[in-house]
Amino acid sequence: MNSRRTFLKQVYGATLALGTASALPSWAMGSGQSDSIAIPGEDGLIVRSARFFDLETPVEYFDRWLTPVPHFFVRNHMHEPSELSAESWRLSIGGELDKPLAFTLSDLGKLQSHSVVNTLECAGNGRSLHRPQVPGIQWGKGAVSTAKFSGPRLRDVLQQAGVKTGGKHVMFRGLDEVPGKVPPFIRSIPIEKALDSETLIATQMNDEPLTKHHGFPARAMVPGWVGAASCKWLTEIKVLDSEFVGNFMSPGYRFPNQPVKPGDAVKPEDTHVVTGLNVKSVIAGPLDGATLKHGKLTVQGAAWAGEADIVKVEVSTDGGSSWNAAALGRERSHYAWRLWSFSWNAKRGDHVIQSRATDSQGRAQPAEAVWNPSGYLYNAIDEVKIHVA
Amino acid sequence: MSHKPIFYLLLMLGAAGVAGVGATQRANLNEDLPAGSMQQKATTACLECHEARIILQQRLNKATWTKEVDKMVKWGAVVDPNDRDALIDYLSNNFGPAQPPYSPPRTAGQKSNQDNAKR
Repeated sequence: MNSRRTFLKQVYGATLALGTASALPSWAMGSGQSDSIAIPGEDGLIVRSARFFDLETPVEYFDRWLTPVPHFFVRNHMHEPSELSAESWRLSIGGELDKPLAFTLSDLGKLQSHSVVNTLECAGNGRSLHRPQVPGIQWGKGAVSTAKFSGPRLRDVLQQAGVKTGGKHVMFRGLDEVPGKVPPFIRSIPIEKALDSETLIATQMNDEPLTKHHGFPARAMVPGWVGAASCKWLTEIKVLDSEFVGNFMSPGYRFPNQPVKPGDAVKPEDTHVVTGLNVKSVIAGPLDGATLKHGKLTVQGAAWAGEADIVKVEVSTDGGSSWNAAALGRERSHYAWRLWSFSWNAKRGDHVIQSRATDSQGRAQPAEAVWNPSGYLYNAIDEVKIHVA
Repeated sequence: MSHKPIFYLLLMLGAAGVAGVGATQRANLNEDLPAGSMQQKATTACLECHEARIILQQRLNKATWTKEVDKMVKWGAVVDPNDRDALIDYLSNNFGPAQPPYSPPRTAGQKSNQDNAKR
């Protein structure tokens, strides 16, 4: 069975590690957390699942604009393809088109390449923080990272094939291997987003070919939208006359149209597909629970807003009674997060530090995230508690 | 003597273990589900497709576990209808909202200090 074969391959690729104190990163010291699993190419990530891979980036890694690939979170809905070959891989383009096409990886390489720096966030990032808790991968704050993705524009490929007037949605199918009778991971995006100049068929990440865990040899890159839109191991693109019907469009990846009482069920007809990301900031340092010396401290982190721009980040060092403007980082790109920092003269005692981002659409992080049955789009004001000695 | 380095390494690891800090502990690639009358049947039904950690990290009430079990049966988990209620009880009792959070391992390797994002 595919699942067993993939499982064996993943066991082969992930061996138990026995390290020494000197090899431990700072987060492992004093946190009580010292277990580690060696997964080649994935360094220091939180293991939410090793079969299939769901690996979270620790917040303390959010101190640089581009996330190095070994620190970039990994989200798999099912098993990775057991067989991937650059030579035999094909991408078919079909459906509501004048001229269906097929591309090899070499063919894609001959098309004009475009780059977009995108903050990719799993729709379920922060799921573990919702109350009552909801089922799914219990992500903390780190199912989000930023990279430069490059490859041909999806628009160029679709225009070469000629989209018929009836083409309204674009479906992506990956090579994920389906365990049991789980529905295949197939989703679609509206034609307008597919034809956007920054929606890509990405073959590179931070100027290197995609790694297997990130969708080699090609993935969709739908900037500003939840990660699920950016299908990995892309093998088929199909233009449809309406939204794709399947589990990962409904009931999966849907959000209530109106706020619901936490814990309540929501009817499918009262929901919509999740698309763009929320406005959000996360504190990368100091870490929650840290004990620090009094004096000058820097509070820092990252803030993003999907298709909107971050206009300000505010920091409170008194539990939300007063707010101070943080300095926004120099590096910026429309779909990428902004790093931010705030210098603070910390006095002895216990402190609650919070961060709140506001975007160009006037959205600001709320005190409480909107609860929903699948735990999507968590974006409450971030908070860490520290002790200053 | 030729065995000295190994002896000292073991001594150091042992001391670190006694002190409770220092050496990394072995993280199980594949965790086990907790003991109980349904442990074996849950292992067979659930871990064919995914590892135990996906269950160990959930903190759900019985109504939500019921929905999850029924969804997974639809998705191919082999559960004898006579075992369904016992399986739901087993999961609810072990992984309910009152349980402390699951503490996940990390992948080996350290934080990169290089500015070059490529690594």
